[in-house]
Amino acid sequence: MDPILRRCSFFYLSHLVTFSGLLGPHLVTGDWPAFDIIPLFMPVWLASSVLFSELGESYPFLRNLPVTDRAIVHRKLGLVLATGAVYWLLILGVALARSGDGSTTVPTLAFITLVCAYGTVVAACCQIGIWQFGRPVMTGVIATYMVLNLAAALVHTANLRHQADWPVLAQLAPVRWLAGISWLGQALVISLALSALYGLARVGTRVKTSSEACL
Amino acid sequence: MEIVVEAHNLRKNYEDFALEDICLQVRRGSITGIFGPNGAGKSTLVKVLARQAPAHGGTVRLFGMAGAEHDRVVKNRLGYVPQEPAFFTDKTVRWTARFAAPYFDRWDGAGFAELLEQFRVNPLKRVKHLSGGEKKLLALALALSHGADLLILDEPTAGLDVLHRRALLDRLRRFVADGGRTVVVASHITDGLDDIAEDVLFLHRGRILLSEDKEDLLARWKWIQFKDGALDPAIEDSLSLLRAQPYGNRGLIGDFTAVRHALEPVLAAGEARVDNASLEDILLSLVTEA
Repeated sequence: MDPILRRCSFFYLSHLVTFSGLLGPHLVTGDWPAFDIIPLFMPVWLASSVLFSELGESYPFLRNLPVTDRAIVHRKLGLVLATGAVYWLLILGVALARSGDGSTTVPTLAFITLVCAYGTVVAACCQIGIWQFGRPVMTGVIATYMVLNLAAALVHTANLRHQADWPVLAQLAPVRWLAGISWLGQALVISLALSALYGLARVGTRVKTSSEACL
Repeated sequence: MEIVVEAHNLRKNYEDFALEDICLQVRRGSITGIFGPNGAGKSTLVKVLARQAPAHGGTVRLFGMAGAEHDRVVKNRLGYVPQEPAFFTDKTVRWTARFAAPYFDRWDGAGFAELLEQFRVNPLKRVKHLSGGEKKLLALALALSHGADLLILDEPTAGLDVLHRRALLDRLRRFVADGGRTVVVASHITDGLDDIAEDVLFLHRGRILLSEDKEDLLARWKWIQFKDGALDPAIEDSLSLLRAQPYGNRGLIGDFTAVRHALEPVLAAGEARVDNASLEDILLSLVTEA
């Protein structure tokens, strides 16, 4: 396995395990609101994986090795994409498995796809931000993003339990519209996310090549 | 003559410093020394040459190749030792080598282990526990263990004790001995690297003051020691670092070959004497006048 990937995968994998261990049981055993809440934590976990994997990164050392910036960008963003996909598949898998007991509906599946796509694209942006502005600057930005996401998830959780008229995210009009066009909606979201990641990979290569923030 | 490193109108700007219009050529099989005072831009130049930092203008060709798309090929043939080598500090020396090895086409694990032993660097030690000199030696061992054709070194002897410094100089001499491999080294003059350099480049405030074959340079620059009134005023005016001393005056001339004939009668009469100049003298003269 490629050493850069091997080193970074450790952080992504350990975060994935933590996510599955801490929040997974709620999806498996909880009632329907779990599927409106737990996916909201995915962007936080993925961004934190990016941040942790960058903590001990040594770009000056990597630059000394015969590996191009393009290859580094593809490996790192590839890892973000792959991990985002695993989160999506895990949550979606449980959601599909529980569709029989009525815990999830088609809009729930669309909502999960939307959140995972959003989390993956933002995590890729965080990675590029680190290349552009350096880790010290981006640590604050990513931490703020994580706190805001976390706060939103907690507020949503609390209100969903205590306020009867609090909107269910999976029932919002755009989500229902996506769900309404069947699997095409999911395919559309995935295609958009993949296109965004492709564009980000190109931008990332330019940024990585020209910026000295990490050197 | 094959050119291994070539820079053309190279430019690199920082807020308070700029490398400007750097043009240079390094021929295959040579040792080129880049010398200059602190802040001259040696490290910046070396970083750009070794493709560690992007240039803001001009081109750099290594082995005839420019552009990031050739990085993999170029860096397989390049060994770079920065002024302050960077590694994954929490990891061990052995882990570092294992991390780097798969990227090189011609990695020599046994050679690396041998170098570590010779440099007395413990492979089980974490990088953060290595001294500055040991980190330098680790970087050097990595640079020498993948069959590089070109070494670019930035202050390689800084932080090394006398034994390791001598070992390094010997190794660099042996590295270029077969004529196929090349060394570019940025350094202060006083650390012995000036002895092994064949071509010399003086840098000051981001510009090249001089780039020349060392032997030609030392043949041109001489100290002239003379009694008052012994020298033609035109020659005396051309002297730099002119200083009155108890036994006469002393000044450095930058083009001795041009005044040799004019000086012969004075030299024959014993009213003047010519001494060899060192690279340090020449650099001092150029920097003072720049």
